[in-house]
Amino acid sequence: MRLWLNIPVTTWTGAALMSAGVAVLAIGLKLALGLNGENLATLVLLQIVAVLSLAIFSGNSGIISFGHSAFMGIGAYAAGLLTMAAAAQKSALPALPGWLAGHETGLLAALAVTAVVGVVVGVISGLPLARLSTGSAAIGTLAFLIIIHVCLVGARDITRGSQTFYGVPRLTTLWVALAAAILMIFAARLFRDSRLGLALRASRENEVAAAAIGIDVRRARFLAWVASITCATLAGALYGHFLGAFSPKDFYFDLIFTYIAMLIVGGLYSVSGAVAGVIMLAFVIQLLREAEAGLDLGFITLPQVFGLPQLGLGLALLLTIWARPLGLVGLAELRPSTFTRSSDEAPPQPVTRPTMARRAGEVLSVQDVTVRFGGLTALDRISFDVPLGQVTGLIGPNGAGKTTLINVICGQQRPTSGTVTLSGHTLSALPAHRVASVGLARTFQNIRLFDRLTALENVVAAAERAGHRRGVAEGIAMAELDRMGLAPRWNEAAGAFAYGDRRRLEIARALALSPAFLLLDEPAAGMNPAETERLVEALEKLKAERDLGILVVEHDMRLIMRLSDRMVVLNKGQKIAEGTPDQVRTDPAVIEAYIGTRRHKHDQHGS
Amino acid sequence: MDIVLQQVLNAISLGGIYALLALGLAVVFSIVGLINFAHGELMTVAGYALFLGVLFAVPLPLALALAVAAAAGAAVLTERLAFRPMRRADATALLLTSFAVSAILRVLFQNGISARPKPVPLPPALSGTVDLGPVHLGAVPLASILVTLVSLILLTLFLKRTTMGRAMRAAAEDFQVLRLMGIRANRVVAVAFALSGALAGVSALLWVAQRGSVDPLMGFIPVLKAFVAAVIGGLGSLPGAVAGGFVLGITEVLFQAFLPEAALPFRDAFVLSVVIAILIWRPDGLIPAKSARRS
Repeated sequence: MRLWLNIPVTTWTGAALMSAGVAVLAIGLKLALGLNGENLATLVLLQIVAVLSLAIFSGNSGIISFGHSAFMGIGAYAAGLLTMAAAAQKSALPALPGWLAGHETGLLAALAVTAVVGVVVGVISGLPLARLSTGSAAIGTLAFLIIIHVCLVGARDITRGSQTFYGVPRLTTLWVALAAAILMIFAARLFRDSRLGLALRASRENEVAAAAIGIDVRRARFLAWVASITCATLAGALYGHFLGAFSPKDFYFDLIFTYIAMLIVGGLYSVSGAVAGVIMLAFVIQLLREAEAGLDLGFITLPQVFGLPQLGLGLALLLTIWARPLGLVGLAELRPSTFTRSSDEAPPQPVTRPTMARRAGEVLSVQDVTVRFGGLTALDRISFDVPLGQVTGLIGPNGAGKTTLINVICGQQRPTSGTVTLSGHTLSALPAHRVASVGLARTFQNIRLFDRLTALENVVAAAERAGHRRGVAEGIAMAELDRMGLAPRWNEAAGAFAYGDRRRLEIARALALSPAFLLLDEPAAGMNPAETERLVEALEKLKAERDLGILVVEHDMRLIMRLSDRMVVLNKGQKIAEGTPDQVRTDPAVIEAYIGTRRHKHDQHGS
Repeated sequence: MDIVLQQVLNAISLGGIYALLALGLAVVFSIVGLINFAHGELMTVAGYALFLGVLFAVPLPLALALAVAAAAGAAVLTERLAFRPMRRADATALLLTSFAVSAILRVLFQNGISARPKPVPLPPALSGTVDLGPVHLGAVPLASILVTLVSLILLTLFLKRTTMGRAMRAAAEDFQVLRLMGIRANRVVAVAFALSGALAGVSALLWVAQRGSVDPLMGFIPVLKAFVAAVIGGLGSLPGAVAGGFVLGITEVLFQAFLPEAALPFRDAFVLSVVIAILIWRPDGLIPAKSARRS
């Protein structure tokens, strides 16, 4: 894929295409329907701006925001106060504080100030929001909606309370709205394909895996929120200058309901979907609004139905969620190849990295780790080393404490005592998203991929975390996909891959981090013998090519005996053996743990 | 003395209503993972059922029972029509479904009944005060606290003593295992919705008793508060919902009573800021739910 400013060229051309389409539609409406058409076109363009500002956060993070309409309100009032004619302001807002009064700025200056306001409120609201769990965050945005609404109604001296705020000059013409819509289309698409956008989409698909490749999910959400809120306040400012007169309830539930319906019906996960949803529903709403007063169809007369547009939006939303959960457009973005049907773009060229010179003797060291859950000792003073350039196998019967140990190593579980260190860093004290940057990558027992991202995006997200620019990251990702035999399917969604391929894709993603150590958590679980054989071959090749320390947890004895240079055996939270596969195989304690002895059984019956 | 006591009473009775509503939300969320935006419309159904009952001079106890039953029935109906087809969807899709259901129901109420409030005349006994020695206390808040208490006790007995109640608690911890045990999932879900609707119905009665009228939007504000309560308590946690409801109700009344005059219009903003502070302190709520099945 060719890049321009680290963003795929197809993103730029796609955004240009989309802008052209929107412009043709808007100008066509004006030419066909005159003044009414111009008004409708301006409204639709402003809705595109607003819904895209929502999509920047909600589409990429997967957290639906109910608060955006209120933030638009802040923008509308802020900009309106600035552009309002001084005389009109005196009569409408006699008690306005002096520092807010009589600015009479132009639209651009007002927008600039509004953007600053947007950043400030975005930061203030984003700090708490980013700390919330995904489920609570949506409700948190709902709280913002109500808080801001209450404040707008309460600040009577500035906003006229719940009364109409009037006298805002109608500066948002069709051309202003069109320019804004085109800018937003570019902004939203570039954001989606940027490093931050990709990280955020990865976290949307799987938060745990995103942290494991080094994405700081909170930070990504915070930054996207601030960007999104800034755009929303600007959208609100333009909307305010289109309406001319408005009140807080214009920026409350009905507005956000409309926007969310547009976003979902078109497709939450793509910019093209958001734009398509706006255009489609805008016309549906327009038709329903005209039908609201009653409709004469010639043979029957439909009665007046109050709230018909809301009813239509509700039904559209329901039908979409039932029939097409990804929205009408789905995951694909509009791009030149949408029309040419020569869909296959050239894959990026694989890049073989210069092997990094590692400090010799670097080691992943588990020291005296103990974990207690209440009265249960899950791990009891476990110590062992994982050296570079070797495969260390970790085995043990069910309940031995393997999973707990892995969680401690990867920073997901704090040990009761003891430490895990890697090149001077104490892994067991780092937050989960820092573990990767220290040099430990992992795969998961229950595969965690970014299902609605392509295979390439899955791996690029990791390669970018290792500090590479997009172009290099894509090359590295292709090389890793190639190693795992997945290169031909680089452009397919990870969710569509078969089980064995998913396992290998996860390994490719972990390798793209250029880790010093790789932790494979039951890599062959659920694989058939042929798939296992391919995996073993890939891992043996990897061991030969890269200076890498590998820790494998596995139930498949033959696989682990074949692959491991050294083995550690856990049972009931204790290390019962350590050594070469041959030593372990013949160790009486290991045999007892796995097979049991007659005396042991006898004891159980006796007790 | 009177005023302080009256405020305490108000706080507890308001908190009780929020707690019942939040419980209704939590019962459903714990089992199917749905944050039900249409919960407020269930309240409205109960309100209109009561209105019709009073209009047709049905004896009051019967009218009250009918109102609660109507809300429970409506809850089961929305589950059957809107949410069952979505059983396997993720939390966001479910939330949006209920968002749409809520909007549709509201339009239906506005057109089918009336966009204006309808008065519900209640027996005069409820509008008076109760004299306990030297203190006079409002009858409605007292009755409201009593009803909340009885509802909470009945619910607890149901969940702890009956087979269905135990099945529901099990479902809240792990729905898949429940199915493996051979319990009919659809019945558990239907009962959860019925229970949630009944709780909405009871809170609707208390709400109407304070307001004296019903309108298409009557459920909107209280259920908004109940969301907040359910989240502060810990989404899907039943004890959390009750705790969250009382925390929210008490906070509201406290701010109402002690904020200076000029700041009163901003009361809800203050309250919600407290809520956000609580969430930052405990992102999973005061009493987090046991299961983490959506992780």
